Amino acid sequence: MSRTGPGYRLLTMLMAGLLAIGGWQVGEGSWMYAKARLAQFLLQRAWCRALAGEAMPKPWPWADTWPVARLRMQHPSVDLIVLAGAYGRTLAFGPGHVTSSALPGQEGMVMLTGHRDTHFRFLKDVKLDDHLALTGRDGTTLHYRVIDLRVMDSRLELIPTGQDTEDLVLVTCFPFDAIQTGGPLRYVVRAARAVDRDHS
Amino acid sequence: MLTDRFCPLRQRAKTSASRLTLCAFFLSLALDAPLPATSCAEPGESLHTGIVPTMGINDVTEGALLLRTDQAGRYTPAPILKTDVHIAVTGTIARATVRQEFTNPSREKGDWLEGVYVFPLPETAAVDHLRMRIGERIIEGRIKERAEAKRVYEQAKREGKRTGMVEQERPNLFTTSVANIGPGEHVTIELEYQETVRYENDQFQLRFPMAVGPRYIPGVPVVVEGQDPRGSGTSPDTDRVPDASRITPPIHPPEDGAINPLSLSLTLNPGFPLAKVESPFHPIISLQEQNGGYQISLREDAVPADRDFQFIWYPAPRTEPMATVFTEQKDGASYAMLMLVPPTQHNNKTARVPRDITFIIDRSGSMAGASIAQAKSSLSAALSRLTTQDRFNIIQFNHTVRSLFPIPQPVTIKSMQQAIRYTEHVTADGGTEILPALRQALKSPQDSSRLQQIILITDGQVGNEEELFELLHQRVGGRRLFTIGIGSTPNSHLMRKAAESGRGTFTYIGNVNEVKDKLDGLFRKLEHPVLNNITIDAAGWSGLEQFPATITDLYEGEPILLALKADSLPAQAVLHGQAGTAPWSLPVSFNDATAHGGPSIYWARQKISALMDETYKGGTQEAIRKAVLDVALTHHLVSQYTSLVAVDMTPARPTDSPAAERDQITNLARAQDLTALASLPRTATSGQLQILLGAAALMLACLLWQFRRAVA
Repeated sequence: MSRTGPGYRLLTMLMAGLLAIGGWQVGEGSWMYAKARLAQFLLQRAWCRALAGEAMPKPWPWADTWPVARLRMQHPSVDLIVLAGAYGRTLAFGPGHVTSSALPGQEGMVMLTGHRDTHFRFLKDVKLDDHLALTGRDGTTLHYRVIDLRVMDSRLELIPTGQDTEDLVLVTCFPFDAIQTGGPLRYVVRAARAVDRDHS
Repeated sequence: MLTDRFCPLRQRAKTSASRLTLCAFFLSLALDAPLPATSCAEPGESLHTGIVPTMGINDVTEGALLLRTDQAGRYTPAPILKTDVHIAVTGTIARATVRQEFTNPSREKGDWLEGVYVFPLPETAAVDHLRMRIGERIIEGRIKERAEAKRVYEQAKREGKRTGMVEQERPNLFTTSVANIGPGEHVTIELEYQETVRYENDQFQLRFPMAVGPRYIPGVPVVVEGQDPRGSGTSPDTDRVPDASRITPPIHPPEDGAINPLSLSLTLNPGFPLAKVESPFHPIISLQEQNGGYQISLREDAVPADRDFQFIWYPAPRTEPMATVFTEQKDGASYAMLMLVPPTQHNNKTARVPRDITFIIDRSGSMAGASIAQAKSSLSAALSRLTTQDRFNIIQFNHTVRSLFPIPQPVTIKSMQQAIRYTEHVTADGGTEILPALRQALKSPQDSSRLQQIILITDGQVGNEEELFELLHQRVGGRRLFTIGIGSTPNSHLMRKAAESGRGTFTYIGNVNEVKDKLDGLFRKLEHPVLNNITIDAAGWSGLEQFPATITDLYEGEPILLALKADSLPAQAVLHGQAGTAPWSLPVSFNDATAHGGPSIYWARQKISALMDETYKGGTQEAIRKAVLDVALTHHLVSQYTSLVAVDMTPARPTDSPAAERDQITNLARAQDLTALASLPRTATSGQLQILLGAAALMLACLLWQFRRAVA
């Protein structure tokens, strides 16, 4: 095959095409992770405004959501701003607060969800008795202790969300390393209110 | 040229080529590996010798007593011995009393089971009475203040009694758990609920769920074996029940007779003359009474419960609106329910009032997908039904507001073309700012000779309530505002109040797949207003409390219900209003129209919801709570401050069986509201997949490059 032959040219084109597709896919995929990280910086600023008393501090002018809480954990090291609403669109930027559950500080269970491969990936390393801290809009920090880790099937099972409990429930997809999205399983971490400790 | 430029890279690429190939191999393994993990993690069928399939709570299609199996969330239905149903319909309100008998089919000694009673309810229904008899025990549902209900529950639990807090899981599913059902023991459950009858296409429809679910087959031995905690590793926790339960069905099945025999009777007091009554699936006997009521029962004493009972009644054709009154005396007060029914036939004599209709559509990011697609298609349908005397405008908003026209424009071919193009190009993106959109809609000039309707469709959280109400208060004038909330986020309360102050209605659409159906229905209704500016002449009534305070307009296809309470009711009252542009009035007689249960409970529900609204108007929590408690306890209603607690009235059985402890623990876990995980969004990005695909494509390009060099 000569360098100017049609076969050679086809190979060049094919190669260029593959390079373009590869670059595009890697770029797009990485952008999701980059967005997940970058957004948290913008959210930190909006969170400060929230603590200062602004009702719905939008992290960027066209945002459809705003920070409602801050979730922290020492080991593994976690510091996340939680957004209002748990839609696909808000979850790209941070974990979302399920609107039908209580807000931190209100009576009832608090339920948060996040992407298993970005913000809530740390749930994989969470163990029983680990401590979580959730700061509400009023600035008070509530402390929680993990009491239950389990995998649930979203098609069959229900999560109790009664007013009687003050638990914090974190939900993400399972298995953590599945390549395919949209599986039916969910990893559910339940943490109960611990006696509020001083920061020591 | 090209190859020369890549020369320095060539050497490195060559050496890495083989490594990359290896990588690709591992990557492909990684791509495949998790897939089987996902599928094997699904819980398998818990039955090994399966005749009775297990089911989840969501599979329930009729009242059922589910017996817990060892697998979390899976149940076997207990055999139903019989069901008696009585339904009393007053106007558009139906009160149903259901009595069901179940049995624990196990014959093994000591096989005490725990069950969950599940009853699918129509969405508008609420349970207010409950009584269970389990063997010797009687469990009675009582309305208590919420805190007290919890105290009663906790106390009984400490004392080793079996109780259950009864709560509504989701609006359409009522459940309560029943612990300790002895082998062969019968469970009788009596339940009363009230619901609103559906009115659609000139027919009233009532449904009682009794469809075929998975059920047992008599006479065949069934063994339900517990699943190993093996459970495919989906449940790492270990507090699951370890021992398997064995269930055997009764040895005395009904001889060839009906399975689940059901008897049903119905009294119908429609409040207006009927053309006919009909039961499409079951033969019935219907007797007409003197006062216009009907007595209906199934032709056979007991029918097999194998399909829903459906009952339809058709009003006799009329061209004028009609008012009907039901009254009730209770505890020294008089309650009345006034129903204003639109005519069944369009009255051509009244001139059609031209309309100005403004659609406000939320196109924020959260509307993306089914919501916006369905809203668009019903909007196009609504546009196509406008006539040339009408005017219209479309406003779409996210964080910015876009308006098709500055003010509503007449319907012409050109404006229609513009509108259709405009609607087609709506895409969902960005945030939600309702206020500016509404302000834009309220800029249109007021015109009392036209019917001015504003339709707001959103799924967002509506903030700045005060500003919104202030705007409406100042600017709405004679316009009517209809609000539609989609999905789980809408601030239903606020949107309902906004619609009320705009003398329109609020429509809530919980399921995005129903957006088109519900919008179509609403748009069609709005085309035919029958009466406007309705008032009731209530001069000389003492202690009158009326809900709603301002009466909405009457539209074709939807009756208006007014709840009234007074110390004593007059013999007659007069309704005033406007039909098109002409004044209209109708005298209503309050005599000889007694009903039971319906009017007072309906009034109490309206009163509670009005009281709850006070919280948003700045009423003090404590005062509101007191007022709500007063109404709820008097009328035996579940509300925000009251719960129905099922209290065991008899001492529990001896607690020597190991099951007892376990039952108590699970009881507590059941006594809560539940959220379906399925309603949560999926929480995984496709980022990983994309990076892998991209990497694979890049590697392939590398290999190709090698190959190209080789052939060159």
